[in-house]
Amino acid sequence: MSFLPNNATVGQRLRAVVTSPNSGVVSVIVLVCIFASIKSSVFISVNNGFNIASQMVFILLLALGMTIVLISGGIDLSVGSVMGLCAGVVAKLMIDGVPMVVAMLLAVAAGAGLGMVNGLIITKLGLPDFVATLAMFGVARGLLYLWTAGTPFLDYMTDTYFIVGGLRRPFGYLTVPIIVALLATLIVAVTLRFTPFGRHLYGVGSNSHGAMLSGVSVPRVRLLAYVCSGLLAGVAGVLLAGQTTAVAPDLGTGYEVYAIAAAIIGGAALSGGRGRAIGAVIGTLTLAVTANAMNIAGVDPTWQQVVTGLILLLSVILDRASTLLRSRVVQIPIQPVAATTAATAR
Amino acid sequence: MWEIMSSRSTDAALLVDDQDTGPQGSVVLQARGAGKRYPGVIALDDVSISMRRGEIHALLGENGAGKSTLIGILSGITEPDSGEIVIDGTSTKFSNAAQSQSVGITTIHQEQTLAPDLTVLENIFLGRELRRGSLLGRFLLDERAMRKRVEHLVEEFGLTADDLRRPAGTLGALKQHAAQILKALAFDARVVILDEPTSGLADHERMSLFENMRRLRDRGVAILWVTHRLDELFGLADVITVLRDGHHVATVDPATQTPDSLVRLMVGRRRSAVAESSAEARGNRWSGPEEEILRLESVSRAPLVRDVNLVVKRGEVLGIAGIAGAGRTELARIILGADRADKGQISVNGKQVRIRNPRDAYKLGIAIVPEERKTQAVLGDFSLAKNISISDLSRVTRGRMIIDRSAERKLANVYVRDLEVKTSGIQQKIRNLSGGNQQKIVIARCLFTRPALMIFDEPTQGIDVAAKNEVYRLIYEFVDAGGGAIVISSELPELLRVSDRIVVMREGRVAGEVPAGPDQSEDERSDRAEEIMALAVRSSS
Repeated sequence: MSFLPNNATVGQRLRAVVTSPNSGVVSVIVLVCIFASIKSSVFISVNNGFNIASQMVFILLLALGMTIVLISGGIDLSVGSVMGLCAGVVAKLMIDGVPMVVAMLLAVAAGAGLGMVNGLIITKLGLPDFVATLAMFGVARGLLYLWTAGTPFLDYMTDTYFIVGGLRRPFGYLTVPIIVALLATLIVAVTLRFTPFGRHLYGVGSNSHGAMLSGVSVPRVRLLAYVCSGLLAGVAGVLLAGQTTAVAPDLGTGYEVYAIAAAIIGGAALSGGRGRAIGAVIGTLTLAVTANAMNIAGVDPTWQQVVTGLILLLSVILDRASTLLRSRVVQIPIQPVAATTAATAR
Repeated sequence: MWEIMSSRSTDAALLVDDQDTGPQGSVVLQARGAGKRYPGVIALDDVSISMRRGEIHALLGENGAGKSTLIGILSGITEPDSGEIVIDGTSTKFSNAAQSQSVGITTIHQEQTLAPDLTVLENIFLGRELRRGSLLGRFLLDERAMRKRVEHLVEEFGLTADDLRRPAGTLGALKQHAAQILKALAFDARVVILDEPTSGLADHERMSLFENMRRLRDRGVAILWVTHRLDELFGLADVITVLRDGHHVATVDPATQTPDSLVRLMVGRRRSAVAESSAEARGNRWSGPEEEILRLESVSRAPLVRDVNLVVKRGEVLGIAGIAGAGRTELARIILGADRADKGQISVNGKQVRIRNPRDAYKLGIAIVPEERKTQAVLGDFSLAKNISISDLSRVTRGRMIIDRSAERKLANVYVRDLEVKTSGIQQKIRNLSGGNQQKIVIARCLFTRPALMIFDEPTQGIDVAAKNEVYRLIYEFVDAGGGAIVISSELPELLRVSDRIVVMREGRVAGEVPAGPDQSEDERSDRAEEIMALAVRSSS
C-alpha cells in the first residue's frame, strides 16, 4: 500500500490505483458490467442489482469464513456440507415444534461446533487441514443424507421464517439475508483489522513458528479460525433454509468451491498471511455478476462454469501483475548508501 | 575487518576480571544446574550461567554443545528436566515463550521469526498487542499507542518511521534485525538473547548491529550472545562462557583469551589438534594441465551483474568477495543457469555453451552448494542416501527406470565415509543432523554428480569451527584432484584462507583481483583484506 502526498501527480495517483490490492479484479467486474449493460438493458436496474445481491449472500458468508481460515494458513473444504447440515438442523427442529429462534440458534451452534471439531482434529491430532476438512465434508453431507433418508425436509416454513429467508421483504430491498451478510462483513472486517485476534491470524499464517516464538498461542488461533468458519456456515445454512423452503440432502453441494474461489479472487493467499473482508465481498461479487450477466445473455449454464474458472484464473493473474508492479515501485535503490556507511566505519 | 575489531578492543573500557564480581551490575537472570536429555542424548548437563545488567555475555560452543538447548530453556521453548531459572532472586519455571517474555526476556532467534506479511510495527507487538483502555476497547488494538511507544527508538536503531509501515518481508536482513531489537525494547526487555545475529550479514551491516548491541548494553540490558565467529568477540563481549558436549567448560574474561585459546576450550585439546592440522594441510596440489574449466566474457544481467569477465582453471579455488548486493550470488545463478544472462558468453572446457537451466549446468559438470542450506539444499524428510543421490539418479538406476536401492545405499556409504559425516547411518533423516554434517551431505550430493566445477555459496554459514575446517578440507580435496571451485563468502578471513585468487565484485562489476592462499602470512592477509575492502566499497565515480 502506498501513502500519497497531497500534491501527488496524476501519474502517481494512477499508479497507486493500478497497484492497489484488488484493482485487477475490480476492473474485471467493471468490464463485465459494461459488456452486460450494452448487451441488455435489464442488467443495469435496481431489480437486477437486488437479484445479484440475493444470489451472493450465501457464498459471501462462506467466503468470509474461508478468508479467515486462509489467512491463518489453513483451508476449509467442509463449509458447503456444514451449511447444508445446519439448514437441515433448523428445518427438522422446526418440524418437531421447536420455537424458531431456538432452532436457529441451535443450528448456528451446530455449525460452530462442527468447525470446532475441524479445528480440534487439526490442532490436537495434528492432521493436515486439507484431510481433516475433507473428512468433515464427507461426514456432514452423509449425515444429512441419512437424516433426511434421501427425501427433502418440507413444511417447516412459518410466516416469520419467510422474512428470515428473504422471501418476504418488510424493509424493501433490504432483506434479512442481505442485512446479515452486511453485518457479518463489517464484523469480520473489524476483527481482522482492529483486534488482537485478527492480528494473530495474519501472524500465524505468515510465519507460524515466528508467531509461536512471539508468544502467540498458535493452536488456539487456528482453532478459532475454524470455529468462525463453521459459525458463518451455520448462519448461511439458517438463511438458506428460509430461502429454499425445502432442505434437500444435496443442499449446498459445491459451495465450498465457490467460497474458496471468491476468497482467492479477493486476494487471500493459499499460503496464508494475506486476505481481507472486502476482498471476500469483491470476490463473491465477481462470481455473482458474471453468472448473472451470462444468465441475462442466455449463455448455456455449462459454459458458465468454464467462464467462472477462467475468471478465477484471470483475476489471480491480474493480482500477480499488480503485486509485481507494486514491488517494483517499492524497490529500494541499491548500494551507494551502504557503501558509504562501510567506508565511514573504517 | 578484524583490524577494526582489534582497534575497538582497546577502547572497550569495561572488562570483567572474575566470573563472580562484575563491575557492570547486579545479576538479572541465572540458570542453575540446568539439564535436559533427549532419547539417547544428554543435550545439557548441569549448566549454570549468570547474566548481569549492562553486560554482553558471549556463549560459545560447537554445534551440539548445548547452546540452542540453553537458549530454548531461557526463552521458554524448551522445558528443562532439572535445574532452575532464577530471576531477581526468585526461582521460576517457563512453560511457554510468553512466560519468558513476561519477565523481560526477549530472544532474537536465528531463524526468521518475523511474519513477512505483517508490517514492522505489527511484528514488534505480535503476541503482545496494546489494547485500548475502555471496557469494549479491551478487544481492540491501540495502533497509536503502539506507534508512540517505539517511535523514538526507530531512528536510533537504523530504521525510518516509514519502515514501520512496510511489510517486514520487504526489508533487508539488517533492518529485520533492527525490528527484532525494537521488539525487545518495546517491552523494556532486561535480558536480550541473540542467537547468531551476524550470520547472513555483510561486514558493514555487522558493524551497525554491534553498535546496536552497545546501545542496548548502555541501556542496562543484559545480552546473551551466541556466535561462531571468534573474531567478533574481542572488544565487544564482556564475559565469555564456553559449552562443550552439553557441559559448562569455562566462563572467562576475553582479555585473557586469544581466538586460539577459545578454540581449544570449545573443541577440547585432542580434537583441536586434528582440526588445525587438517586446516593447513594442502599437500598435493593438482599437478596436471591447468586447463580452463570456465570462462565468462562480458556476462551481464541488468541490473545486478554487469560485464563480468572471469576464468576458473583446474586445480584452483577462485574466491569472490563483495558486500551484500554486489551481485555475487546473482552471478552464481547465471553460471548455474537459474537465471539467464542478457548478454555475454560462457565457455566450459573451452567450448562456448548456453546454460538454460540448472539441469544443463549439471550436464556440463557444474554443481552448486547453495547459500541457504535449509531452504535451497536439504530435503529434510529424506534419508542421507536419498539426499546424496537426488541430483544424479542415473548412477543408481537400472535400465533408466528402476532405482536400485542397494546400489544407492552402497554408493552413499562411500561418500558418507569419505566425507567423515557423523551419523548413525545413511538411513537417518538429514534433518536430524547438525548443520555442519548437513552441509557435508549437500557437498556429497554435488560430488556425486562428478562435477568439474563446484560453486560454494557461503559454504560455512552457521556451522561450527571444526566443521568449517572440514568443509575447507573437502574443497581442497576436490580441486587438488583436478576440479575447479568458486567460493563466495562474506567472511573475509575465510575467503583469504581458502582461495588461491580473489575476485572482488562491486555493484555487479568485477572491481579487481587479489592474490590469496593458505601460505600467506598474517600480515600479508591483513594487507589483502584492506585491499579487498577498499575495492568492495569504493564509490563508483
